[in-house]
Amino acid sequence: MPDLNPMKATLHCELVFEGAWTTSVAFLGSGRRLAAGNREGVLLVWDLPEQPTKESPAPTRKLEGHTNAINRLVASDDGKLLISASHDKSVRLWDPTVEPAGSAEVIVDSEQREREAKKNPKGAALSKPGVKIATQQAQHVFTGHRAWVQALGMSRDQKRLISGDDSGLVCVWDLATRQQLAKWTGSPANWITSACLSADGQTAFVAEFCSPRGSFDRPPAQVRLFEAATGKETLDFLKVLYPNVKVRDSSYGYATTWGQFVAQGLVAAEFSPDGKLLALAQGGETGTGKVHLMEVATGKLLRSVSGHQSGACDAIFSADGKYVLSVGRDTTLRICQVADGKEVAQLGKPRGGQFKDWFHAVALSPDQQWLAAADISGRVYVWSMG
Amino acid sequence: MNPRCRPADHLSRRALLKGALATTAGGVFMNWGDLFGSAAHAKDVAKEQKSCILIWLNGGASQFETFDMKVGRPTGGPLRPIQTNVVGAQICELMPKMAQQMDKVAVIRSMRTSQIDHPGGIHLMHTGYGPSANVRYPEIGAVCAKFLGREKPDLPNFIKISSNGDAGAGFLGPNYQPFGLDHDGRLPQFAVSNLDPKIEANRNELRNFAEDSFALDRKVEVAGMHREAYESVRRLQKTLKVFDIEQEWAKHRDLYGDTKIGKGCMLARRLVESGVAFVEVGQSGYDTHADNFAGHKGLVPPMDHAWAGLLTDLHQRGMLKNTLVVWMGEIGRTPSINNRSGRDHYVRAWTTVLAGARIKPGIVYGETDLDGKDVKDKPVTEGDFFATIYKSLGINPNKENFQGVRPIPLAPFGSNVVEDLLA
Repeated sequence: MPDLNPMKATLHCELVFEGAWTTSVAFLGSGRRLAAGNREGVLLVWDLPEQPTKESPAPTRKLEGHTNAINRLVASDDGKLLISASHDKSVRLWDPTVEPAGSAEVIVDSEQREREAKKNPKGAALSKPGVKIATQQAQHVFTGHRAWVQALGMSRDQKRLISGDDSGLVCVWDLATRQQLAKWTGSPANWITSACLSADGQTAFVAEFCSPRGSFDRPPAQVRLFEAATGKETLDFLKVLYPNVKVRDSSYGYATTWGQFVAQGLVAAEFSPDGKLLALAQGGETGTGKVHLMEVATGKLLRSVSGHQSGACDAIFSADGKYVLSVGRDTTLRICQVADGKEVAQLGKPRGGQFKDWFHAVALSPDQQWLAAADISGRVYVWSMG
Repeated sequence: MNPRCRPADHLSRRALLKGALATTAGGVFMNWGDLFGSAAHAKDVAKEQKSCILIWLNGGASQFETFDMKVGRPTGGPLRPIQTNVVGAQICELMPKMAQQMDKVAVIRSMRTSQIDHPGGIHLMHTGYGPSANVRYPEIGAVCAKFLGREKPDLPNFIKISSNGDAGAGFLGPNYQPFGLDHDGRLPQFAVSNLDPKIEANRNELRNFAEDSFALDRKVEVAGMHREAYESVRRLQKTLKVFDIEQEWAKHRDLYGDTKIGKGCMLARRLVESGVAFVEVGQSGYDTHADNFAGHKGLVPPMDHAWAGLLTDLHQRGMLKNTLVVWMGEIGRTPSINNRSGRDHYVRAWTTVLAGARIKPGIVYGETDLDGKDVKDKPVTEGDFFATIYKSLGINPNKENFQGVRPIPLAPFGSNVVEDLLA
């Protein structure tokens, strides 16, 4: 696998995906194939052009079934497995390499058409046909969630999956049998904001949060490790970080203390490839939007890196574990060295200086040659790293 | 200063005394007109023992995430509707408990009001009038205290639990000023005497003696007002049990939900049951310019639980027919979703809800357009809304008082009672 060289990032193309916020993105293997989902539940696949282009390539496939926002996408290294988590309370499993089942017309430039129609009301901008593309259904739907599924993670051995919803339910799934291995619930009224599995799928990380409900009934956030097969808690990061603070269900003081670490919820989490570290992104509208690098063995904070003004949205490790890549509401993608926390690259200028709006999700191809960020304005930006 | 004890929110001994004196002085300049000449009317209303509970959503709850969903439209957002126990009426999935109480409420989906910011909106939706430098309009609670409240009550007639609004009694004077409770219903510190009861009684006797001696050769009413101010605080001491809700809370926690607003709503019922004319229960945090959906997902479920519990409790006790329950904030929220995942202020088309008293249950009044940007049918102004509330409580909304020669009706001139909302 080639080394990731953040300094070589070159904007390759811009995928237009208008109509609703683009919320999730994943590379399908090491080729030039990519999937992205939006807030309306539309999930599309693109085949990226070989050469850099200013023209937006059309999508090639639509994955049908979701009826509400797609929050997270994870994919296998060979690109034969794509899993999506949605506000529609479902987790769906797809093989984007199978023969398509049908076709559909898709319009991905609705906002451009509306602008055109305003300039020329008598023109045919709004009635122009869309792109006809292949469609397919999910191979499997993981059911059992009772609320928005916001958390999703797959073990690096690609044998297990973890998902978490806003009712506090966490499920661990076996991908071969598609059976539920374990489930547990967090604190009452809390939402599962992020979850991930260690490389071998044995350890689960789960973060919980709930927006303020009132000054004395605010439930505490939770940031914990579990045995994935049993749901038995093995480490409480907040207890390690704040040993002198007593956990009480109704403690505002406790909430304000952990608020410095959790911000408005840890919205993204990933184990490093060697399993020694966890990257946790501070989400919601918050001033700092840091990514915490946590030591898995001790629960201690190694360092906080990056910093997305107004909040981070997603964070991942590079495949070689040398870098952590994060995106956020400041419209930037930032790449930091794990070893010393130094930020070595920033793609985009803060607050709309270059790209339009929040970067809601980030993805790196397994061979580290392609990088993508989903912009809520209805764009997916793709960089070549070679 | 104790942040829980703002002068405008409660009636302290000193404030009460000052207010009583100010009222005497005010009488020189103001003609209270029919308000003070309405004793007969007030007595009639009191016979019916009407009361009002206001659930105040501070910051302005989103109509799109509560009662006027626009699913599938660009303005709709990610939440989804659920069926209710009223055929054809759907509300947000965040309110499953209220979905089962829809046959008790009237939803007004066509509010169109005039104050788009918080201070103006809070004043407007507490008084029916925009803020004015010239007139100190009374809050709805003070009006209810005046017209529905008991004379010389042991409990204050206007109580606020963790709520907002700073207009207070306005020109109605300090007798109708709100009495503020802490967020979990605790009494403010001044309300409980630290003195030994014997010492307190001796002190009162001495004060009364001094006041009587002072009043013997003077014709002003100040001494009487001074005594009444102390008497009202002493009467309150006899009712402290009402505020001690822990025992009852254990029984009703599941009904109301174990939250701040749940506790507030149960205390509101308890106070109304004890004769309080108006209780306001507040919940803050709805000003969701950022992360509107997460914000509402946090705030609405506990409110849903508390509100549904309150309606159930009032209904089961036979109190709903005489208790008006008002659900509102100061503004609605924009149809457009901004790039902070939030909704901003909007007053062109939004939602309030009424239940109980004379309100027709199980109806949805008015309609907004496809995207919720404008009222499509039956607009209701703030004046119409207050006129309807007053009428449902048996108070004449056209009742006037005078500032100089200027008549000021309870509901603004030109307001119309929405008769379709009344049974």
